Amino acid sequence: MEVSVIGSSSQAKICKTELAYRDLRFCFGKNNDKSKILSRKPNSVCFESQTARFRKARLRFTLEAVHSEAVLESKSSTGSNSLDKVRLFVGLPLDTVSDCNTVNHARAIAAGLKALKLLGVEGVELPVWWGVVENEAMGKYDWSGYLAVAEMVQKADLKLHVSLCFHASRQPKIPLPKWVMQIGESQSSIFFRDRSGQHYRESLSLAVDDLAVLNGKSPIQVYHDFCASFKSAFSPFIGSTIMGISMGLGPDGELRYPSHHKPAKSDKITGIGEFQCYDLNMLNLLKQHAEANGNPLWGLGGPHDAPTYHQSPNSNNFFRDHGGSWESPYGDFFLSWYSNELISHGNRLLSLASSIFGDTAVNVYGKVPLMYSWYKTRAHPCELTAGFYNTASRDGYEAVAQMFARNSCKIILPGMDLSDAHQPHESLSSPELLLAQIRTACGKHKIQVSGQNLASGAPGSFQQIRKNMLGENVLDLFTYQRMGAHFFSPEHFPSFTEFVRSLSQPELHSDDLLAEEEEATESVHTSSDANIQMQAA
Amino acid sequence: MTTVAIDSLLPKPGLSFRPKANVLLKPSRSLNCYRNPKLLFSRGACSCSFKPGRRIHVVEASSTDAAVIDTFEAFSSDDVLYKETFPVKRIEKVEGKIYIRLDQSEDQKNWQLAVGCSLPGKWILHWGVSYVGDSGSEWDQPPKDMRPPGSIPIKDYAIETPLKKLSKGDMFHEVKIELNPSSAIAAIHFVLKDEETGAWYQHRGRDFKVPLVDYLEDDGNMVGAKRGFGIWPGALGQFSNMLLKSETSQANAQSSSKESKDSKKENRQLEGFYEEQSIVKKVPMGNFVSVAVRKCSETSKNILYLETDIPGDVLVHWGVCRDDVQTWEIPAAPYPPETTVFKNKALRTQLQPKGTGNGSRASFTLDEDLVGFLFVLKLEDNTWSKFKGNDFFIPLSGATSVVGQLAQSDSVSEEISSKAYTDGIITGIRNLVSGLNSKKSQKTKTKEAQESILQEIEKLAAEAYSIFRSSITTFSEEAVLEIEAPKPAVKISSGTGTGFEILCQGFNWESHKSGRWYMELKEKASEISSLGFTVIWLPPPTESVSPEGYMPKDLYNLNSRYGTIDELKELIKSLHEVGLKVLGDVVLNHRCAHYQNQNGVWNIFGGRLDWDDRAVVGDDPHFQGRGNKSSGDNFHAAPNIDHSQEFVRKDLKEWLCWLREEIGYDGWRLDFVRGFWGGYVKDYLDASEPYFVVGEYWDSLNYTYSEMDHDQDAHRQRIVDWINATNGAGGAFDVTTKGILHSALGKCEYWRLSDQKGKPPGVVGWWPSRAVTFIENHDTGSTQGHWRFPGGKEMQGYAYILTHPGTPAVFYDHVFSHYRSEIAALISLRNRNKIHCRSTVKIVKAERDVYAAIIDDKLAMKIGPGSYEPPSGSQRWSSALEGNGYKVWELS
Repeated sequence: MEVSVIGSSSQAKICKTELAYRDLRFCFGKNNDKSKILSRKPNSVCFESQTARFRKARLRFTLEAVHSEAVLESKSSTGSNSLDKVRLFVGLPLDTVSDCNTVNHARAIAAGLKALKLLGVEGVELPVWWGVVENEAMGKYDWSGYLAVAEMVQKADLKLHVSLCFHASRQPKIPLPKWVMQIGESQSSIFFRDRSGQHYRESLSLAVDDLAVLNGKSPIQVYHDFCASFKSAFSPFIGSTIMGISMGLGPDGELRYPSHHKPAKSDKITGIGEFQCYDLNMLNLLKQHAEANGNPLWGLGGPHDAPTYHQSPNSNNFFRDHGGSWESPYGDFFLSWYSNELISHGNRLLSLASSIFGDTAVNVYGKVPLMYSWYKTRAHPCELTAGFYNTASRDGYEAVAQMFARNSCKIILPGMDLSDAHQPHESLSSPELLLAQIRTACGKHKIQVSGQNLASGAPGSFQQIRKNMLGENVLDLFTYQRMGAHFFSPEHFPSFTEFVRSLSQPELHSDDLLAEEEEATESVHTSSDANIQMQAA
Repeated sequence: MTTVAIDSLLPKPGLSFRPKANVLLKPSRSLNCYRNPKLLFSRGACSCSFKPGRRIHVVEASSTDAAVIDTFEAFSSDDVLYKETFPVKRIEKVEGKIYIRLDQSEDQKNWQLAVGCSLPGKWILHWGVSYVGDSGSEWDQPPKDMRPPGSIPIKDYAIETPLKKLSKGDMFHEVKIELNPSSAIAAIHFVLKDEETGAWYQHRGRDFKVPLVDYLEDDGNMVGAKRGFGIWPGALGQFSNMLLKSETSQANAQSSSKESKDSKKENRQLEGFYEEQSIVKKVPMGNFVSVAVRKCSETSKNILYLETDIPGDVLVHWGVCRDDVQTWEIPAAPYPPETTVFKNKALRTQLQPKGTGNGSRASFTLDEDLVGFLFVLKLEDNTWSKFKGNDFFIPLSGATSVVGQLAQSDSVSEEISSKAYTDGIITGIRNLVSGLNSKKSQKTKTKEAQESILQEIEKLAAEAYSIFRSSITTFSEEAVLEIEAPKPAVKISSGTGTGFEILCQGFNWESHKSGRWYMELKEKASEISSLGFTVIWLPPPTESVSPEGYMPKDLYNLNSRYGTIDELKELIKSLHEVGLKVLGDVVLNHRCAHYQNQNGVWNIFGGRLDWDDRAVVGDDPHFQGRGNKSSGDNFHAAPNIDHSQEFVRKDLKEWLCWLREEIGYDGWRLDFVRGFWGGYVKDYLDASEPYFVVGEYWDSLNYTYSEMDHDQDAHRQRIVDWINATNGAGGAFDVTTKGILHSALGKCEYWRLSDQKGKPPGVVGWWPSRAVTFIENHDTGSTQGHWRFPGGKEMQGYAYILTHPGTPAVFYDHVFSHYRSEIAALISLRNRNKIHCRSTVKIVKAERDVYAAIIDDKLAMKIGPGSYEPPSGSQRWSSALEGNGYKVWELS
């Protein structure tokens, strides 16, 4: 018995890496097991069988060893690693720059940047708030805080992805600029309004995009000036440190209506949200549109039979799976208009951004939300209220992708960490299916997709991200959200480190072996590091 | 001839462990174990001393022979645009053999081991011995009389002896070692080293090992592993076993091993043997490639001539470029003969042998509008030759000067170095870290380097973490202090005492029964102090609905079942007199009401703090409070106090200050702190400025199917989070450590006592200065026994906590039991060696049946039935204490 063990070990070509470790453990086990086995089951039969099992285990290890050595030899010359393919970014804290334009916890961020650099992360994402930079008065920009951060990032030899945020943040509290809020006091119609008359004060209504509601300027003009000012203030960084800019497109920077004014409580299933077409300007647009369509009565308001925010789809008639009004001619009329308004709004902002940044080396991005709740119903109510006319019978993302393609912008998709397995069954949601649908639409229009996560450190999220990053459709980049106390906490950071390191692994098996010859054409491996070596003759 | 693979000791990951178990099944173990991690470094250093085998002769352009136009020498005329000779390094294999011979010397008494090598080189035998009865596979120095002349001792475990030529003109280098078979030497181990190249030659990744006695004697447990030893014909013993299946020509060995299975173990007679193995040494060779470009006057094309002295078939893998970024492209035909297109990206041309028969050459005709000619060489053995790691680049346009082009590769490296960022560590690390698993980095970097980078990352992350969470939003960075750093400006006691505190819980669950506990304890004051304790924790002093005191009613009424307020003051006075600090057990989470509200619910308080139902949390339906939601868990037996109310906090602060000043308490033991936010605790501690504080944050450990998880990080994190919420103003009971000790000691799972980072797995491993370690208290043990420490293992538990960092707490029942003298001895050992709450622990063993650690390099301890002895190095450890399942040593 033992002879065969030895034989197998000497016959195999021996691996230098893993096997040594396993063998050691094997032997420890054996050593300890002597007393353990004997004391537990003091009969020799048992001992024999244990040994036999070990022998099997050994043989298997040996096979692995041979395999991995083969990998080792063929791998030796290639230096690429997959992080170069999928670029990994980490979001900086939302309140990186305080409202008085100083850098918050600068020392922590400096340490964090260094740690990320060491880890091999490519860059960081920095949210730049309208409410911080242009807070005091229209056209009065203070970039000092953000410039300081850009400098820190540059010094850390990291890349920077800037997110221009034309919305407000609830937590931490970063409102819209003071002067905008003042205008809003007297003129609440610049905000979205829901059926019950509640205003959403965290971004401007898309219906005022081209109306001169801000001290004689339209929001689009104000956004334009903001972007232009950004461009000139950051010109030393643009194209070298700053490689990407995301244009804020609405609530939370995403292209959508604020169909959920307040985030759902974590223990509850996300409701379907509400249509946000009740501010004066939206109603005007709807009215004009209805009259133009010859159905003036359809232009008086949104659907009367839509449920409220946290209700389920079936609690009223509009979103019912069968016979819901969403499938009626009226439903189609309303939903087409509602979603087209959103797409036109996106188009306005993205064409603005690409006209400003088009002559630089940076890429322009826009973020599309992942309204995955209730995706498995026929009506997809969550997507409808958010402004995506995507149902069981209609692909609503085609038009969105087309709009992005027209402006040669890249799409950011959040929720790459979510897996269906972790969704409550009764929510009928499917982040994975929705993600796949949007990515298909993007693929069709050759739009590059970059990813983000929604939660942080949820069970299985890293595996899911990895799956999304390294799947067939490779992501342009992935931005992990977000640096802060939790990010560096002992519960989270080790798993993040593990995740980053795991990204370079799959290469060992597939890509590298194939890439070998390819690579030879451009850079060929020297044998200099092989050194002096003896080999089997 | 037997052939064998000999791997040189290339640094590879996972190699640098030192096997501890002495297992006979050697071939299956430690395939690449280094006895000395230092070897890794010396190897690394050697790999740099990479010298070309011979000088490169740059051919001077002095030929006058114009007849052969297409030679390098011919390119001397004025029309030469470019001319350069590049050195090319490559590896050539040289075959040779090693032999190992064991035979008797002439006088028939001694034996002689001879090791020889036929290859040229400066060979060194790096060797040591192991003795009969050695455990582990460490080498030892051989006795002096065994060492051949010229030997140099390496540290205390090896000898280096050079191999010498037997005679002038002899091919072989050899070394001979005399052996005395009656000595206790069990085996000779060696590896061969070539000083010239720095290469190490091992036997299949391990030491060569020549056994001199049968191993079965000391390792009889290993079944049959070496049965065949005794009758092995000309055996190298274990060593031959390994050769067996490789390209061995000893076919009979197979059958003999089969026979050997049946043979009984016998006292082995040392037998002579002779083994030869062929080896291949890779020798670096220096060659050259010369390139010249000249303009062809007729066609106005460029003619590039390339030649090399590399023997054998050489393939030029080439392309051209039209810009400075050197993008490869395929030029238009014509191509030289024997050219193929490779994957549409490059051309491959076989060089033609030169007329002289030495080396090969080719010439290329290239359009004049091309900027450069790019190539690499593919050699016969499928290796590639490049120029300083890059493609060779030959400029074709006459405008650029030769020198400018040569600077090409240098400028690249300059660029890299200027980009390289700060602090010494970041440079080039990206590959290293992100490619931790990539074999490439494993080849070039040692595991140690990777480890240190990971540690650096961890350190940075920890720094970032501490700042992020201690500052909600800070505008002045100076305000952020290190958690551990003392706060000089603010005069607040740290709440953690001197760091040398040892705590005694001065009561149990029955202490209230006599009605005069204070008086009883007073009599024991000097005794407790003399045992070495510095702090004593007294029972809750307030009027209480339950006799034990944990259901307080009127906080200012300190007449309890333990005694009167005056007796308490008296007790504290006498405790102070013997040098003990006194902790009051304060219950802040809940308070029993005096009166019912209109619904008959008991939620109106009386006494000096006559709060109404606003002081009661609003989310416990039992008590119908009108306060805010509780900031923690609810304790359901009494109204939970709403600490978010200003008036409640103010009253509690006053009360604590009163206890400090009027009664004389020095600090607090805080009951059920899970029930409210740690931030309020901070508030109370800031106000009452205690000398020492410990909070009871007790929740369940993490279990998976009734088996305790190894990783209790989440559990200790919750405790650490609470301490953090108090701003580190006090400590907390290390419930995690107690829980892990339960499993480790109770189920003989001592491996649990080391976490994944080799640190103690409890709070004490993360934040030792705030961990109050204990094994039992009035709830877990005593007459309640909610979570009793494994019976009979108490002393092991104390041996652990009283030798480790953290502030240990000893339960009253144990102090006054038959354990007393052992506990006292441990305490005095702790005090004598000045072990404190921040002492460092080095865990040296955490195995199934034994845990051993060295604390502050002053104490060594082990618990568990397994064996451990502190290292017998320069430090001299002497046994200090020994008890049932534990042993402690101190430096003598």
